[in-house]
Amino acid sequence: MTSHTDARLDALAVPASPARPRAPRAWRAALLPLLLPALALCAWQLAASQGWVAPQILPAPERVWTSFVELLGNGDIAANFAVSLHRIGLGFLLGAALGLATGIALGVSDTVRDYLDPLLRALFAIPSIGWIPILILVFGIAETLKILIIAKAVFVPIVINTAQGIRDIPKAHLETARVLRLRPWTRFIRVIAPASLGPVFSGVRLGLGHAFIALIVVEMLAATEGIGYMMVWGRKQFQTDLVIVGMIVVGLAGFALDRALLAVEQALNRKVPSHG
Amino acid sequence: MRFIRYAAAVVVSGLVAAGAQAQGWPEQVRFGGFGQGFGKPYGLAVLAIAQGKGFIADEFKGTPVKLSFEYFTGTGPAINEAIANRRLDFAQYGSLPNIVGRANGLPTRIVTSYGYTTIFGVARPDLPVKSFKDLKGRRVAVAKGTVLHWAFLKALEGNGLTLKDVTLLDLATADQLAALTAGSVDAVIGSSVLLSLRDKGLAKVFYSSHDIGPKAAGFGAITVTESFEQRYPEATQRVVRGLVRAAEWLGHEENREEALRIWTRSGVPYPALRDEYAGVALKDVFNPRIDTFFVSQYRDAVAFSQEQKLIRSGIDLQQWFLPRYVDQALDQLGLQGNWPRRDANGKPLEG
Repeated sequence: MTSHTDARLDALAVPASPARPRAPRAWRAALLPLLLPALALCAWQLAASQGWVAPQILPAPERVWTSFVELLGNGDIAANFAVSLHRIGLGFLLGAALGLATGIALGVSDTVRDYLDPLLRALFAIPSIGWIPILILVFGIAETLKILIIAKAVFVPIVINTAQGIRDIPKAHLETARVLRLRPWTRFIRVIAPASLGPVFSGVRLGLGHAFIALIVVEMLAATEGIGYMMVWGRKQFQTDLVIVGMIVVGLAGFALDRALLAVEQALNRKVPSHG
Repeated sequence: MRFIRYAAAVVVSGLVAAGAQAQGWPEQVRFGGFGQGFGKPYGLAVLAIAQGKGFIADEFKGTPVKLSFEYFTGTGPAINEAIANRRLDFAQYGSLPNIVGRANGLPTRIVTSYGYTTIFGVARPDLPVKSFKDLKGRRVAVAKGTVLHWAFLKALEGNGLTLKDVTLLDLATADQLAALTAGSVDAVIGSSVLLSLRDKGLAKVFYSSHDIGPKAAGFGAITVTESFEQRYPEATQRVVRGLVRAAEWLGHEENREEALRIWTRSGVPYPALRDEYAGVALKDVFNPRIDTFFVSQYRDAVAFSQEQKLIRSGIDLQQWFLPRYVDQALDQLGLQGNWPRRDANGKPLEG
């Protein structure tokens, strides 16, 4: 009876066992995420070739590919992408810096929390798009408006995750720090930062995702260049292929930036002492 | 007893439906038009009059045909999408989105003109902008890809300027008003909606397409989908006849006041509408003919769209226009003499 159970447990444990060759897992990790996009592409091709949807609404994949190559060749994508990247970069830096500072303050200080938390929660409830009409009146439609909207979108998840990440640090860690009489700065660098790195970085990555959403929203509303504007322009020209090309560019860029942040997080994780 | 009555009702309605089928009536005719961004289920120009005064409904009296009217805040581009989604049979919208839709393979045919709309230019009151020429070096907002975009370029041309002389900003109406108020742009080119800014003292009018004439005004067409027209030629004829009767009614000056009141339902304030058509004969504005002038306007706008890379291929205008319905309607109503045919410059032709 006992041996029987043991055998089963062994069987269950096999996939996680390091003795197994790693190659098939690597293949899986590389290929499985492509399965759903591949299926979607097939369905798209089928819908286009069978004429289920008007070609003006959903152009065939090869039409989108042709446009993509064309826009890449004539520099339209690069020019618009550079503008968008500039906006994302500034907005993200501003939002992340303010977000981290505010989040840390909320996390470590009860006083700051008492002052700011309810106000911030109320402000966070207003979606970015709700700020636009009033911000246009104050800042006009120039770059400032776009960068502020993006910064606000980045700020929210970073504040929430940072504050929560710090609050969730096990009491024992902080107790130890107090017993060791660590100075506030040392306590922050040696204890708080490493222990909250995971949630803080989730916030940063989430913030980047929100930055892309905000970017497209502001570029669709009040811009004359950028990837979001390219999509609006595509809609006005009734060339849905342009819109889809824009979606693909934004999707790929967002994915690449998210991966880059993940790599930064892992590098930082290796640097800081483990608290396991 | 109840069952028999129910069965009888089913049979009768079945017969009516079959009858409708036999006569070639569609179950419903769906109209779409450009909205004014105020979220009102009413529009402007001929279609709004034909709806408001029941001219099209009269044409279908005694038939089972139902009519529905929808006005799109997203204007032309949204109407193109609705046609592609098979949600509309007839649509009244601006020439530029007409062209963009057709060039991208949208199966529309042009059955009549919706008349023309006046284009206005307004500037911040503190700026020394007195005419179009003063726009040189300034930031100008216009909704690109709409007929306003075309009219803007026409007016630039008419004043010896090119696109290189101004900074063009593509903004939707609501954002234009905010941007002008905030000082982000110096001037806006748009429809009579802009006059409400003037009435609030936030802008001054420095240009109206009346300055140049009908050639610089906004224009567009009422289109029918190819499949509807082929399947229901009689219904198409009746719709066009209703539209021509609406245009004829508009031409009587004693109806002007009532027409303006009908148009205010769209959300555009009365003073704006009054000023839009002040000093011009509505009969000239709402000429429904597909004549040399109308076709040449389209030829111009197609060339413009190609220049601006709005469309990738040209359009065969002969294939696109379907003047037979409006001509027949004029015959049937005895209105051939009501509107003269015009030459390419909008001058009436003799005879």
